[in-house]
Amino acid sequence: MNLKSERRGIHVDQSELLCKKGCGYYGNPAWQGFCSKCWREEYHKARQKQIQEDWELAERLQREEEEAYASSQSTQGAQSLTFSKFEEKKTNEKTRKVTTVKKFFTASSRAGAKKALAGKLKEIQEAKAPSPSIHRQASIETDRVSKEFIEFIRTYQKPGQDIYKQCKLFLDTMSHKRELSIEEQSECAQDFYQNVADRLQTRWKVPPEKVEKAMDEVEKYIMTRQYKYVFCPETTDDEKKDLAVQKRIRALHWVTPQMLCVPVSEEIPEVSDMVVKAITDIIEMDSKRVPRDKLACITKCSKHIFNAIKITKNEPASADDFLPTLIYIVLKGNPPRLQSNIQYITRFCNPSRLMTGEDGYYFTNLCCAVAFIEKLDAQSLNLSQEDFDRFMTGQTSPKKQESDSFSPDVCLGVKQMCKSLDLLSQLNERQERIVSEAKKLEKDLIDWTDGITKEVEDIVEKYPLEIKAKSQALAAIDSENVENDKLPPPLQPQVYAG
Amino acid sequence: MAAGAGAAAGGRSFSFKVVLLGEGCVGKTSLVLRYCENKFNDKHITTLQASFLTKKLNIGGKRVNLAIWDTAGQERFHALGPIYYRDSNGAILVYDITDEDSFQKVKNWVKELRKMLGNEICLCIVGNKIDLEKERHVSVQEAEMYAESVGAKHYHTSAKQNKGIEELFLDLCKRMIETAQVDERARGNGSSQSGTARRGVQIIDDEPQVQSSGGCCSSG
Repeated sequence: MNLKSERRGIHVDQSELLCKKGCGYYGNPAWQGFCSKCWREEYHKARQKQIQEDWELAERLQREEEEAYASSQSTQGAQSLTFSKFEEKKTNEKTRKVTTVKKFFTASSRAGAKKALAGKLKEIQEAKAPSPSIHRQASIETDRVSKEFIEFIRTYQKPGQDIYKQCKLFLDTMSHKRELSIEEQSECAQDFYQNVADRLQTRWKVPPEKVEKAMDEVEKYIMTRQYKYVFCPETTDDEKKDLAVQKRIRALHWVTPQMLCVPVSEEIPEVSDMVVKAITDIIEMDSKRVPRDKLACITKCSKHIFNAIKITKNEPASADDFLPTLIYIVLKGNPPRLQSNIQYITRFCNPSRLMTGEDGYYFTNLCCAVAFIEKLDAQSLNLSQEDFDRFMTGQTSPKKQESDSFSPDVCLGVKQMCKSLDLLSQLNERQERIVSEAKKLEKDLIDWTDGITKEVEDIVEKYPLEIKAKSQALAAIDSENVENDKLPPPLQPQVYAG
Repeated sequence: MAAGAGAAAGGRSFSFKVVLLGEGCVGKTSLVLRYCENKFNDKHITTLQASFLTKKLNIGGKRVNLAIWDTAGQERFHALGPIYYRDSNGAILVYDITDEDSFQKVKNWVKELRKMLGNEICLCIVGNKIDLEKERHVSVQEAEMYAESVGAKHYHTSAKQNKGIEELFLDLCKRMIETAQVDERARGNGSSQSGTARRGVQIIDDEPQVQSSGGCCSSG
């Protein structure tokens, strides 16, 4: 397309400007050289196939919802009752989403829903832009998960079919049970997990590892579908608790790592990197729909924490190190809808994963962290009650070491940079000192050698070395002693006349 | 499936959760690292963390998956204990024989555990650091008598010298298998009725309001 318009710039020909189809109208590069009419036709043809596919999808979705819809007919009255409540209670975006989804399937007739969905699809395609409709994205995801599930379950052959039937049955039953309290729904889900696992193991004799894998997929499949109904449901005060925790964490913004005795030093760039990653992971948890995926986020976060501790302390982290750090991460990250997520995982996660596995351990620690934050008081931070109160009411904030030279809104990177610059200049200074010291030392050494030479020369001058001839001494070695002449003359033999 | 008491439906393989309780410096971490990695204070420890470790055992033909949960021992986290030890099959309570206080802490935990989990849980009281026998401040007799009085077993260990640790875990596993089997039998073959202690962790301190199936009363 680009190429074509360039060429036209050089070689403008009447035929080039006309519609490629030769209908006589002018074409437009934006329509790939077609006129508007031909383009629409061409485009339509190209998209027809995709629309057809999407139509099939819509039909299938509709079929799936049909049963649920038929059954919900009987409880229509009750549902509209919840609707009015919905309207009153919608306090966040999520509730609005759920409402549209519900409206979509309950308010319109079957054919109407299909038409609406198809219409929506067309709209999306013609707008040629990613749809902002969350509902649409959600159903795409649901669809993808279904496809994957069916593909996966096929590998299990007969037991797979059975499990698929069970899942369908369960989803169907659950759609009747929307009015039950969340605890009862959770109970149903847990029973379902238990039953499916037992069935696979005892009836179909599937080996344990395969059971575990199948259970993961089952959880993924049913919870993707159930999510919108059972995550932070309006029958509970989960949302209220979310807000309370969020507010609490915000009020505790002044808590420093030192107060919590966090064994992590954010001065080290790698460590602060890990801390940021851990925070990202824990925040990401809210975006997942399947309990297991949420757990995976917590685990990823924990691994980053362990890394941070390992780098700082150079030994494997114990729980004594891990929990305070996790608390600190939660305080720093303030993850959205924390309570709702915890409750959702508790209620709808496959229990075997939650009880004994590694994921379960990290999840338990997160629960501990939240419980600690909720109950946190002066004593648990080793502060006096007065200090704690003052910090909580925002009268003062604890002095941070770095706060003297930085305003609080300077970002971390800049702070790190300033610190590094500081260190560098210190290093530079020290280096200069070393160089000057070295020069001095060199000079001293030279002076010293000079000095020594001079001294030696002086001494040599003062005491010149005189070599005297030693002729006598040499001769005397084997002769009589030097002092001989002082001695009396040797005795002469005397002859006595006898 | 590792639900409930942790026993598989077939009964040949078990999954146990063991919590590790003890004050800050009693050597909890050294103990499990010695057990799982056979290393002590080693700079070459490869594990990233020592807070959650697993070990597979085979005891008399029975496969056992042991998950060891370390807990934060600082006083400020004491109140969080119940969240950690919920649904555990065993607890290892560690004290430092040179530190009277740490033994006192163990006593508190025992009381709590018995209150929350009854006799379902196998308790081990462990006097660690017997390599420092000269500085002993908790008498052997006192510790062993106390353990007996609360239905726990007492062990002497040294993570430094690798003494008594293997025995401790082996013994604990045997006891947990026994408990699980008794439990299974009592439940009548186990598999059908395991809905009791299945639920995981709940951190809400107030009772969740159980609503009647009417469903539309406001939640306030």
